Amino acid sequence: MQIICISKGTMSGGKQLAERLAEKMGFACLSREELINAATEQGIRVGKLEMAMVKPGIFNEKLSLERDHYLAFSTLYLCQKAMKGGLVYHGRTGHLLFQGVRHILRVRVLADEEYRITEAMQRLQLDRKKAQKYIKEVDEDRRRWVHTMYGISWDDAASYDVVINLAQMNVENAASALVNFAQLPDFKIPPAAKKTLEDLLLGARVRVIIARDDKTRNARVKVRSDNGRVTVTCLPQDVTLTETILEVIQKQLPDLKDIRTTIAMTNVLWVQEKFQPHTEVYNQIVDIATKWNAAVELVRLAPEEENFHEQQYVEREPVKQTLNGDFNEYNGGIEEDTIEPENDNGGLRITLDELSRVGKSGGGRVVFGGQRELVNSLDRNISYTLVVIGDVFLSKGHATKLREARDLRSYLSDAIRAPVVTSDELGSQYLFGKKDMVRMGVYLTLTVLFYILVFTNQQPILAFLAHSGWYAEAVKDSFLSVYSWLPKLVVSIVVFAFVPVVAYCYGKVTSALLKLIKME
Amino acid sequence: MVDLLFNQFVYIDFAGALQVILLGFIGGTLSGFIGSGGAFFMTPGMMNLGVPGVIAVASNITHKFGKAMVGSKKHGEYGNVDKRLSICMVVTAFIGIRLAVWINSGLFKMGGDGHGGGGTAASNLYISMVFILILTFVSISILRDALKPGEGKGPSMKIVELLSKFNLPPYIHFKVADVTVSLWIVSAAGLATGYLAGTIGVGGFIGVPAMIYVFGVPTAVAAGSELYLAMFMGAWGALNYAFQGFVDIRLTMLLYLGSLLGIYIGAYGVKVVNEKLIRIITGLIIILCVFSRAIAVPMYLRQLDLIVFNPEWDKYFNGASKGMLFIAGISGTAVILYHVIKAYRQRRHIQTILTESGYASVSA
Repeated sequence: MQIICISKGTMSGGKQLAERLAEKMGFACLSREELINAATEQGIRVGKLEMAMVKPGIFNEKLSLERDHYLAFSTLYLCQKAMKGGLVYHGRTGHLLFQGVRHILRVRVLADEEYRITEAMQRLQLDRKKAQKYIKEVDEDRRRWVHTMYGISWDDAASYDVVINLAQMNVENAASALVNFAQLPDFKIPPAAKKTLEDLLLGARVRVIIARDDKTRNARVKVRSDNGRVTVTCLPQDVTLTETILEVIQKQLPDLKDIRTTIAMTNVLWVQEKFQPHTEVYNQIVDIATKWNAAVELVRLAPEEENFHEQQYVEREPVKQTLNGDFNEYNGGIEEDTIEPENDNGGLRITLDELSRVGKSGGGRVVFGGQRELVNSLDRNISYTLVVIGDVFLSKGHATKLREARDLRSYLSDAIRAPVVTSDELGSQYLFGKKDMVRMGVYLTLTVLFYILVFTNQQPILAFLAHSGWYAEAVKDSFLSVYSWLPKLVVSIVVFAFVPVVAYCYGKVTSALLKLIKME
Repeated sequence: MVDLLFNQFVYIDFAGALQVILLGFIGGTLSGFIGSGGAFFMTPGMMNLGVPGVIAVASNITHKFGKAMVGSKKHGEYGNVDKRLSICMVVTAFIGIRLAVWINSGLFKMGGDGHGGGGTAASNLYISMVFILILTFVSISILRDALKPGEGKGPSMKIVELLSKFNLPPYIHFKVADVTVSLWIVSAAGLATGYLAGTIGVGGFIGVPAMIYVFGVPTAVAAGSELYLAMFMGAWGALNYAFQGFVDIRLTMLLYLGSLLGIYIGAYGVKVVNEKLIRIITGLIIILCVFSRAIAVPMYLRQLDLIVFNPEWDKYFNGASKGMLFIAGISGTAVILYHVIKAYRQRRHIQTILTESGYASVSA
């Protein structure tokens, strides 16, 4: 199975290339226009959504729900098509809908301006100026769409595997070159990675079911599936809808056995290689999640070699849990009781069970590889409040482990707009412990001393600040009198040094106090 | 607090100290809630307590230095600080502050009896007029935006689109904010921000809107970057005003006592109050602060012999100005606190429901 996503600018020849490539590969070819038509038939107001995305002034909460529905429907539609064998999709950034699925061939098709203007003039019967304006405006709208929808830059060449300029190459040759590219093992989806696609499909299907039902249409939920286990995360405001949501899902997918709901306003991402419930870190994370009304999302960062072993296993054993690609016959994920032996996945499953028990599960999955694979697997529509890095790269030596964990932390800090901490720092930064008590006591004492010092010596301090009184007298007989600006500079420096110290000490006291009453 | 120590610093008794702490708390809460500012309440509040305008501005900008240091660290953790953008603005912001200090110090040293306001009338009048002019514009813009029909409107991109039509090289790309802006425009915004920070202590009211509406920076990044810039501006302002001998470190420390606590409560309030309500509350508080300052203006005009009335009336003008300011601040803070406490209780209530009903873990 293969997926090729072509991102095209208007009038750049991307459509012809996609059709020719699909023909050569024997794959289905799907255009964005077809996808939009299908979405519109389902009642999704894509036109309005498009308008809101490119003109930021009119985006509102209702459209935010519409966007979730559109994304879920598009993911479902594309996954279904892809699972029938192979797919060439041409649109804007289709590859971003396959979140976490690796080995997709991502192609960007360009053409120089002259080529595009000529195309627009011929196809739309426009004069040169209007054609130029048309291309500029459409490109800008697409750029904004991608940026608002996925938060990335459409023009960034690093988002694609191949960039093809059709001004120098004809469609036939470009298609042949892409066929060769597609033959590379890097762009063939291995059987093990199909699981990710199946999970993506199941999650999207459940989200679409929730959006289609009148009773649950307005519920603000996030759905994800991990190895067939579906987690529906609702906002606390929608707590009363959880039972209805479960009923609606069960009605549509009666065979879906493993489904959980979590109530959360935000997410905490916990990255670790091996999980275990009831450890100190686990308890700390649950405490923080409870305090913040957050769901905990687990990512097991496993070495690439483990993926290789798993692939070997899957290739030898026929996949029992395959989806036959037909949406209507799809059985909803986990349905056979006699299925393959339970794989604990480094404690992921048991930890998720425990998190579900306390209502904090935000789902979990395994990511093979390193930092890049981890970031690629994250859903861009989920906002995280905190990222916790536990023990990772366990098979590496101590020094390498420390270095790679440090690199991972700085990479995640750049990629995710949330504080990234290691599990060692977790308690001291977010929970109030004995150390905090001691620290608070020390800073409080220092603060009190500063205030006593200043307020019991107001007259001399003010004389110093005003460059008069005792200070003016003292300056007269000292080296400071050499230049008239020197005594003033001394006052400036003292104020400059003293004020941040007071702010820091008292700031520590207040933040510890708010941490104590769980209100940070 | 009427007579002055060393001709510029007020006496502070226990009641006065409590009032400054309250000013700090309200200013901090509003600052955490709005995302910038706070000085718009604290500076006139101190002037109402008899602190000369220049001392109020100097002590407040010094207070801002430490506060911004604490706040920008937090924003930085959330990836909301574009350091490059802040640093590009800082050079002209320094020039703006220097200009403001020069004007303020000059006016203060020029003289005037100022017994009603407690300091030099010329300086007080100048600060009040800049305050009224700028904050009237800011509050009207906020209220107009908030009362426009249509839920959840985003910032207007009209100015960004207009400026993009002009070619003003050199252009700089700011990675975190993901915008490309002409250095000239960034410098002009820095100058205006610095001048206002140095004059009334409210640079953020120009800096943040400039970043959002002129540069096209996302709101969270604008607030974070302005706070980062405020740290440098506060440091530079503190150095300059301390050099002139105008920083009252006691006022700065008392403000901290209230503001560093209030800022957390205000920031919590943002999470639990509807965005439209945030804008309406902010706009109303600012406009009331403007009215409060406007009431004090005749007093300064009389002190400068520009108008004539009985000097005994000064206390009524000052009292009315002070009363209105405190009503504005206290009612605004009360609304925020009401929502914060309500949300806090609601959170606990939801947790109880989850625990009792078993919603926490539902397996089908």
